[in-house]
Amino acid sequence: MVRRVLTLTSGRIALVILTVIALLAVLGPLLAPQNPLATSDNTLAAASGSHWLGTDYLGRDVFSRLLDGSRVSVLGSLEVALMALVVGAIPGILSVYLGRTFEWITLRLADTLVALPFLLFAVAVIALLGNGITQAMLVTGALVSPLFYRVSRAATLAVARSPYVEAALVSGASVGWVVRRHVWVKVLPPIAVALAQTIGVGFIIVSSLTFLGIGIQPPAPTWGGLLASDLGYLSYQPWAPLAPALLIMITVWASNLLADAIRDVSGEAGRAFVNNRKARANRLDGPEPVSTGGV
Amino acid sequence: MTTEHARQQPAATPTDESAVLEVTGLDVHYGPRRRRRRALHDVSLSVAPGETVGIIGETGSGKSTFARTVLGLVRPSAGRIVIGGEDVGAYGTRQWRRLRRRGVVQYVFQDPLRSLDPDLTVEESLSEPLLIQGVPRQEAADRVRTFLARVQLSEDLLDRLPGELSGGQRQRVSVARALVTEPKLVILDEPVSALDSANRVQILQILKDLRAAGTALVFISHDLGSVAGVADRIAVLYQGELVEVGAARDVITDPRHVYTRLLVGSAPTLRTASADRAERDRLRALLHA
Repeated sequence: MVRRVLTLTSGRIALVILTVIALLAVLGPLLAPQNPLATSDNTLAAASGSHWLGTDYLGRDVFSRLLDGSRVSVLGSLEVALMALVVGAIPGILSVYLGRTFEWITLRLADTLVALPFLLFAVAVIALLGNGITQAMLVTGALVSPLFYRVSRAATLAVARSPYVEAALVSGASVGWVVRRHVWVKVLPPIAVALAQTIGVGFIIVSSLTFLGIGIQPPAPTWGGLLASDLGYLSYQPWAPLAPALLIMITVWASNLLADAIRDVSGEAGRAFVNNRKARANRLDGPEPVSTGGV
Repeated sequence: MTTEHARQQPAATPTDESAVLEVTGLDVHYGPRRRRRRALHDVSLSVAPGETVGIIGETGSGKSTFARTVLGLVRPSAGRIVIGGEDVGAYGTRQWRRLRRRGVVQYVFQDPLRSLDPDLTVEESLSEPLLIQGVPRQEAADRVRTFLARVQLSEDLLDRLPGELSGGQRQRVSVARALVTEPKLVILDEPVSALDSANRVQILQILKDLRAAGTALVFISHDLGSVAGVADRIAVLYQGELVEVGAARDVITDPRHVYTRLLVGSAPTLRTASADRAERDRLRALLHA
């Protein structure tokens, strides 16, 4: 699958950007030139040699805060997406195969989660489990999971009773085999799109929870949190939200690009698409047809 | 009327211990209790090793239901099914899986396009039953090549997707997939009805070779013509009941049941293209009476 994604320019671009973002998440806190939490009198300063992106309303170096916040931001949104994937997509696929009781229970659970008001539920769970980034992400993941449940269930239903699945069953395949070999490929493209979308939404959710004092606590920087605090000082530094907004935008765009690439190369159409490109490339590489001469 | 014309009473089907498939008094119902619909009633049939039995009947007569029940895809309401000496009537999912993994029975589906996963290459589709059995990858690849040759397909097709094959090639791939596990019994559900006549002849030839190799076949079709050339015995299903079972030649030359006579009379041949329309109308009236 990775190899096929790499045949597309968009897939290559997306993977490069996401690799950079991942490196930023891993190394960012180490690369920060200044202490991201250290305040100074030099508040709301413009970009300069010592503060590449200026300082914020407490005189903290914005560039250092962006780098330092990248780990929590990226991991936070990944956590949301993975939680939603595990809690949503896997039961979504299995609901088709594991009998009516499991199907009924998971369907009702998904309905219930959709009906819950997001912030109220988040506050209630935090009150129960204690405040922390993991708890906040668990709540968010659980609330996004019905999307994954529905998407993967719909895609699974479309192939669940198809003759080729029955052919596999007649050959003695287990449910696990059928899911791995036949269903997963069909479910992956819509899930990849949902996943990319969720990663984007994850940044926003992390920041809105931070705004409420849930999850990441205020002095610790996040991209979403930086964006939110910058917005308060828009009249002094109209350009300030640009840097965190650009980072969020690029990440979301790259994950959408990757999702599109996955959708393009997976499935029958995808393989044919890649094969055609290969064939065309071969034709272009090959020797020119010899002209038999004019009439 | 039925008894008068039936060549062989369902109960009179020989109970043969060595039969690959033995079905006795099979009943299948669909739907909930109040809207219950009978798909098969008291069907008894046995298939000996190496024998080819054709099951013919019109759409909705229960042909496919019969096949799906024998394969465990539909649960029977009553009756006994014995496959290769094992009574599978009370089998649960796990026991079915164990039986199927031995590759004793295989199934060729009606629609060759939909019965092959559009995302898997020909090689992946063909090796699947072997990999499920736990055959090592290399050995599976070798076996796939052998069987591909047996259905007269070139190895160039191995990395093609079903969408890139013609209808006849797809059906031959389906047949090859059913054969790779070297089953004792292959059930073919309308294997040639979606094909043009050239491909039909080719598939029928493959089936004849298969029969010569000693594999038992159950050939399901609505078309008497395609069954006639291959089958040793023909069973006629009408509205879920087996109305006539007999040697292929006898059923075709001397049909007893009104429905079989109608079938034989309706089979389009060049010689009798429009002959006996009055006779067919008479039989149809008799059947509906």
